[in-house]
Amino acid sequence: MTNVLLIIFTISLLYLGIAHRLLTYIKILTIQGVLLFGIAFIELIEINAVNLTFVLLETIVIKAIAIPLFLNYVMKRNRITRDAEPFLPNFVSLILITLIVITTFILSNAINDARISKIYFVVAISTLFTGLYIIVTRHKLITHVMGYLVIENGVFILSLAVGNEMPVLVNLGILLDIFASVFLLGIFVNRIGDVLKDADVDQLKSLKD
Amino acid sequence: MISFILIILTSLFFSGIIIRTKSRTSGRKGPGLFQPVKDIIRLFKKGAVYSKTTSFIFQAAPSIYYASILMAIMVIPLGEYRGIISFEGDFVFFAYLLGVGKFFMILAALDTGSSFEGMGASREALFSMFAEPAFFILMGSFALLTGHTSFQEIFASLHFGSYISYILGVLATLVLAMIAMVENSRMPFDDPKTHLELTMVHEVMILDNSGFDLGLILHATNLKFGMYGALIANLFMGSFPLYLTIPIFLGIQLLFAVSIGLLESFTARFRMNHNAQYILALSSVSLLIFLGVLLMLGQFS
Amino acid sequence: MTGIYLAGAFGISGFLFFNRSRVINYLLVSAFLVLQLGFTIYEYLHINKPELTYFTPDALGILLLVTLTIISIPAMYHSYMYLGSKQDNPGHTAIYFAAMVALLTSVSAAYLSNHIAVTWIFVELTTLSASALIYHRRNNRSLEGTWKYVFVCAISITLVFIGILFLSFSLSQAGADDLSFSNLLRKAPELNQFWLRLAFIFIFTGFTAKLGLVPMYTAGIDAKDKAPSPAGALMSSVLMNVGFVGIFRFYTVVSHTTVHSWANHIILIAALLSIFVATVYMTKVKNIKRMFAYSSIEHAGLVMLGLVAGGVGYFAAVLHIILHAFIKASLFFQQGQIYRVYQSKSMYDVGNYFKYNLTGSMVMLLGFFFATAMPPSGLFITEFMMFRSLFEAGYLWVLVVVMLLLTVIIWAFGKNIFKLLFSAPVAFKEEGVEKIKPVESLSQFILLGLVVYLGLNPPQEFLHLIREAIKNLPQ
Repeated sequence: MTNVLLIIFTISLLYLGIAHRLLTYIKILTIQGVLLFGIAFIELIEINAVNLTFVLLETIVIKAIAIPLFLNYVMKRNRITRDAEPFLPNFVSLILITLIVITTFILSNAINDARISKIYFVVAISTLFTGLYIIVTRHKLITHVMGYLVIENGVFILSLAVGNEMPVLVNLGILLDIFASVFLLGIFVNRIGDVLKDADVDQLKSLKD
Repeated sequence: MISFILIILTSLFFSGIIIRTKSRTSGRKGPGLFQPVKDIIRLFKKGAVYSKTTSFIFQAAPSIYYASILMAIMVIPLGEYRGIISFEGDFVFFAYLLGVGKFFMILAALDTGSSFEGMGASREALFSMFAEPAFFILMGSFALLTGHTSFQEIFASLHFGSYISYILGVLATLVLAMIAMVENSRMPFDDPKTHLELTMVHEVMILDNSGFDLGLILHATNLKFGMYGALIANLFMGSFPLYLTIPIFLGIQLLFAVSIGLLESFTARFRMNHNAQYILALSSVSLLIFLGVLLMLGQFS
Repeated sequence: MTGIYLAGAFGISGFLFFNRSRVINYLLVSAFLVLQLGFTIYEYLHINKPELTYFTPDALGILLLVTLTIISIPAMYHSYMYLGSKQDNPGHTAIYFAAMVALLTSVSAAYLSNHIAVTWIFVELTTLSASALIYHRRNNRSLEGTWKYVFVCAISITLVFIGILFLSFSLSQAGADDLSFSNLLRKAPELNQFWLRLAFIFIFTGFTAKLGLVPMYTAGIDAKDKAPSPAGALMSSVLMNVGFVGIFRFYTVVSHTTVHSWANHIILIAALLSIFVATVYMTKVKNIKRMFAYSSIEHAGLVMLGLVAGGVGYFAAVLHIILHAFIKASLFFQQGQIYRVYQSKSMYDVGNYFKYNLTGSMVMLLGFFFATAMPPSGLFITEFMMFRSLFEAGYLWVLVVVMLLLTVIIWAFGKNIFKLLFSAPVAFKEEGVEKIKPVESLSQFILLGLVVYLGLNPPQEFLHLIREAIKNLPQ
């Protein structure tokens, strides 16, 4: 069953590659949060109840509800235009994201470790690099934050692979997730909107040599 | 043999159902179920007018196209019952039969010398080019899964058991349905009802065809729908006996036609310049099917 | 004691955050300095005794902790100078000091932690506190610096976390669930190679954001430029050392595995590229602070070269990173005075510094000599040792390339510094130039003096500590 969810998760990455609107990005993040909830629930059902509740709450409340709402609020408050404004056409993005998936797939053949499930590795690493790709090729600051959130989802999947043996690491990952997203979005909502009229990367290009 | 007859039968009422569904959803009564077939018969009775600038290719192309599709239909099995033509690796044969038909249509469109038709031909070629890897990766995955390489054996030994196989079935249906839409130039990729030559794909290619030739082309479209519907239906048949497979076949064809009608009533077509990426996404999804197949086989865990 | 220190220091930081009175501010900051000093002495006397399970004051930790304490005192002093010269909002001042205390505390804790995940948590905290310092000026450009710093650090912290996950994969193969450095070191030969390689790449890349090496160095440059100069001094010295600690401890583990030579190649590439990037930018940069920041990148690259070369290079690397911290801190402190004189950081606006601030220009001149490793600087000794070890390890072509690049750096650095010190400034109004008291440069002289002392005539105890720090590396 987790395999099914992980495959759907990978499809959401492809969708991310061809999405045009920021609202679609937010929807994809919500879907990913729900998928992660399902994966965590099935995968971690054996760990103790308090810990499990914590993980599940984090995925469903923070990833699937709070962050999308917050992103929506940020977009409205800062009057960010709806288009994602990629540097590269979406067609190229789709090819590159597919290539990322294929590459990690081939790379995973080097693993000879019965304990770690390869599909977790493939999905997590492809998510990680897709997130980095989104950050590099999108124009707006808010899409950078979204790319970062995608990376976080990848990290979460990776930490689930060892979740049963080391729940501490899952919790640490969640800590990172909450810390970084609250911090990044906090700066965004409080400062960037006030200082800059349009939250665009172009406005943050004065520091260079 | 049975599948051949069934598909021909389906082709008679398929577009009728689509048109009926569309009329119902827009609040009209709509024409009769066999109106499209009657139109085609009317066209068959007419003679064709050929432009003086065209060569024999233009005259031959519709017949070759129609013949190629009839041949392709012969390959399709029905559950356990093999098609008229069946051999190892026949899905490759199937794909390239369709390719031959399409190639001649494109040649004919170029033959007319009209810039509109050239544009349409270029789009048609581009979109089929992107749809092709999706079909091959999909069929290749199934061949890997079942260990057979002919349609009949693949479909006969396809069993759904684990969770992962269900998601594969759903994805495969989705991919096949979308390939059918691309091949037939239907709604999310192309609008058959459009009136502007600049935004047409398939319709603009056949602007110069008339009479008997046009009838052949229109009926070929219906046959193609029936053919892809049959492929999808085969995914769910397994090795049931005949009295079960025929109702399943007809039911799935009906469902397919109605869902196309609904899709065409409620969605807008993609922007032309975004089409390529959506079609390519089909290939990416089929790659994931391939990944899932590897998972099922345990070669990758 | 670690518990008391952490609770006390974070408590002080919290009080500073809410306090608006100047007197209480002085009291709290002095209390923190006393606490820091006491903690350092205590840890020095209780070397290698684990506390709170996750903290062990080993030799490297002690060395860097002492460095931090020595730099923190002038840092606080120059912070008062910096803030006193501006009509600042008391709220902003409060945040500044709270963030600085939190930064120093989390850096100290990161030095001493013996568990990779704990180090990771404190590195995360340093990002948080450093970003508050960078944003002190609250304008468009400091916002940009902050945003870039926070974003790049967030990504690099995530990369480190992924590295830790991979490390745990490789461990569970070896059958232990403990990620402390000593346990990793014990289990080193059993670690799964494939996961260890991935872990090394991710952890190394992640920590380069703090240390200032090639993949992730960019954020640090902007941050050091936009932060107030005392904060820049901290970021260019003690915060860099956090990255060094992370890489060094993990490298020690890796050096006992079969991945060692492969890891050396990775580090070598990163180090060479860092020195190259530093050279390229040093020749064209026109901002004094950014020039210092690029110089830090060059030194970070040199330190990594020392690690790669092995042998006496290990010793040189640890000594180099300590001495570099002193030099860079004093240069950044001095830069604060330059800014007060010229109200500009640009190379175009400064000049004839000798005329306006004699002691300060002496610091700049000495700092330049020291930073470019001319005798009597201690860096001369360490770089000499590094080159020797590179030669002995057979990296002759690396040596040639690095020496060429260093020559260019000396030229570029010197060109700018001599412009600052001797050429007449263009369109500079002399009226109302702030007189800088010579005593304000005292701390810089002390720091530079320490560099000479530790380099040329190091006390036995100091040498012993360094040898202790590198004892786990293959000799």
